[in-house]
Amino acid sequence: MNVEQQLKLQAWLDGELSESEARQVAAFVQEDREAQAIIGELRLTKSFLAGNEPEATLPESGDFYWSKIRREIEQPEKAAAKPPGVSWAFAWRRLIAPLSGVALIAFLSILSLNVFHQQPVDDSARYLVEVENLSDDIGSISYRSQSENMFVVYLYKKDQETDSESHIEPIDDTFFQ
Amino acid sequence: MSQRLFARMAARCFLALLLLVGTADETLAANLKLEAKLIWGTDDDKSPNPAHKEVDVATRDKLRKVFKWKNYFVVNRSVKEVPSRASNNFNLSEECTIQIKELEGPRIEVKLIGKGKEVHKTTLTINKGESVVYSGDDKNQSAWFVIITELSEK
Repeated sequence: MNVEQQLKLQAWLDGELSESEARQVAAFVQEDREAQAIIGELRLTKSFLAGNEPEATLPESGDFYWSKIRREIEQPEKAAAKPPGVSWAFAWRRLIAPLSGVALIAFLSILSLNVFHQQPVDDSARYLVEVENLSDDIGSISYRSQSENMFVVYLYKKDQETDSESHIEPIDDTFFQ
Repeated sequence: MSQRLFARMAARCFLALLLLVGTADETLAANLKLEAKLIWGTDDDKSPNPAHKEVDVATRDKLRKVFKWKNYFVVNRSVKEVPSRASNNFNLSEECTIQIKELEGPRIEVKLIGKGKEVHKTTLTINKGESVVYSGDDKNQSAWFVIITELSEK
């Protein structure tokens, strides 16, 4: 006998089956010895339980009792939904990590903008050149060729007569410093 | 989290931030990659030294527009990086060395050293595509040139 048949026997004993099902099970029990044995055991167990099971009685009506239980179940949920009362120090500690992250990102963004976005250099600073002769014997002539994008420093010995015009082609857009 | 642990953590964050601020500028500043070429200018068609090669056409044309010589030959070439706020030497011959220092601005300080002695110093902003040229007379109506060019953007 399988579990389903055993459950059906139990349901039949408890009076939970429809009339047609109950008739079928009754016929089955009459013919099957194993079923009869099971039914005998179940009846014996039921008689024991019916005689010894403590009977609990509600102090109030059933509806009122269940409404109290429902209230008890719902109460913790409300309490959990309510924001906990925390101190400002605890709140600050929780905020310090994300605030530090945001501040760091902002700082790095500003820094990178300053580094990578070069400020336009005004022409006076861009073309400012400092030249210095470090030797007493050497003189220099320096100029910038705008057309050739070239800054030239021509060195010569001071003791020898120089004729820079003979070495350097005349350039319209240069200036001597 | 205890008060002590919190204070220690905050102190560490503050120190890390200070360190970052202090090193960010140095870290992000790129090195300056420069090329220095020693060139010999002459009216002769060929250099007496077969190791000397003619400069490229663009450089030759630029030099011809500024100087009187017809032909220009590369004697030596040196490519080096100049670290930020530091200097590097470009040895172009036994007698000629160029020392370049990267300055704030961005500007560079170019020092010509001849026979171990400092001869000339130029401090300028090297603009995009610009060359710094040192020149001087040489024997037999020829001339020498040192051309300094930035190879990459800073």
